[in-house]
Amino acid sequence: MATINLISAKISPSLRLNPSNSLRPLPTLCFLSPLSTHSSSTNHNFLSLKQTSNLSTTSKLNNKPRSLTIVSALKKLSESDSISLSSENDGVLTSDSGVYAIYDSNGELQFIGLARSVAASVDVHRKKVPELCSSIKVGIVEEPNKDSLTQAWKSWMEEHIAATGKVPPGNEKGNITWFRPPPQKKPDLRLTPGRHMQLTVPLEQLIDRLVKENKVVAFIKGSRNAPLCGFSQKVIGMLDNQGVEYESVNVLDEEYNSGLRETLKSYSNWPTFPQVFVNGELVGGCDILTSMYEKGELGSMLK
Amino acid sequence: MASRGVMSASGLASRADRIRAKLQSKLEASVLAIEDVSHQHAGHDAMRESQYNGGETHFNLKIVSPKFEGQTLVKRHRMVYDLLADELQSGLHALSINAKTPQEIAPK
Repeated sequence: MATINLISAKISPSLRLNPSNSLRPLPTLCFLSPLSTHSSSTNHNFLSLKQTSNLSTTSKLNNKPRSLTIVSALKKLSESDSISLSSENDGVLTSDSGVYAIYDSNGELQFIGLARSVAASVDVHRKKVPELCSSIKVGIVEEPNKDSLTQAWKSWMEEHIAATGKVPPGNEKGNITWFRPPPQKKPDLRLTPGRHMQLTVPLEQLIDRLVKENKVVAFIKGSRNAPLCGFSQKVIGMLDNQGVEYESVNVLDEEYNSGLRETLKSYSNWPTFPQVFVNGELVGGCDILTSMYEKGELGSMLK
Repeated sequence: MASRGVMSASGLASRADRIRAKLQSKLEASVLAIEDVSHQHAGHDAMRESQYNGGETHFNLKIVSPKFEGQTLVKRHRMVYDLLADELQSGLHALSINAKTPQEIAPK
């Protein structure tokens, strides 16, 4: 059965998945009910193994039982019902998990996405690019998980590419219309209001206050978004990786942290950067953090 | 140690030699590996503006010393930094320090 190959076929690397969108539950009618209630449509199922089982599919089924059972309930893109995204249809989309295909007013497929809550994701799209969201097709994935959703998404993508020879414009590499912007990193802290301002408190005291008022502070070269030194970059990477809240201070910022480099060296009695403080105490630089990270001690210390 | 006593005010000895001499005598190191990795950092911004660009600014140190016994990593690093304070003030920019006690490197 050719469809089986479609499922396991490698999708081109230029296709991207929609990152799981917000899980915000929306009160919705289940307009597209799960396929269990569409028993009459089983004949059109994309992968309806029950009806097509013969020797060859059975043997393939045994090889890949998981992916096949996962998508067995998904309708083909071409056979799914189109729903208008006009405002009177607000609230009819399912907040179940699944794949969805968005069409513009000319009926051109713009984007195929997958979501933990279809309604919530589509809501985001409609706010961002209302002119591209005219109608939608939804395929609910029962027992959704990362694998089953990905499989479902792949099957619709493959079907569309096979039919038109084109990747939907929104799924093309570099098109970010349908994707959420990556979360902005926090800004670096500044110790002073600016070089031209007369400090009323000695810099040393400002450092002291900063490291004691914040649980984790990393003094780095460059900003946390663009560290200018490999050691600082590594430290930021490890802190980000632990998923903890931390503050950063750019010791090279001569405008807002003027004099910090020399003052911090004497404050901490540590001659190099980066320097990481936890609860007001110097923990160390890149070497020490790396060593703790490798031993799995970093996370517990930061918590 | 061949390099012991090489340290000189005249600055004729290389920084690696001076580092070796200082650490060897004070830490009684059983292992002391010094690797000059300055070239790896010659390009970065802080170095480009430095008069020491590309020369004896970055070193990897591997030190095994009984003096590290019972000391936290921060303290061990501080001991090394304190011994090399002169160097840090004269263009030594960064050290990567691996500080262990003889016990810690003993095969288990």
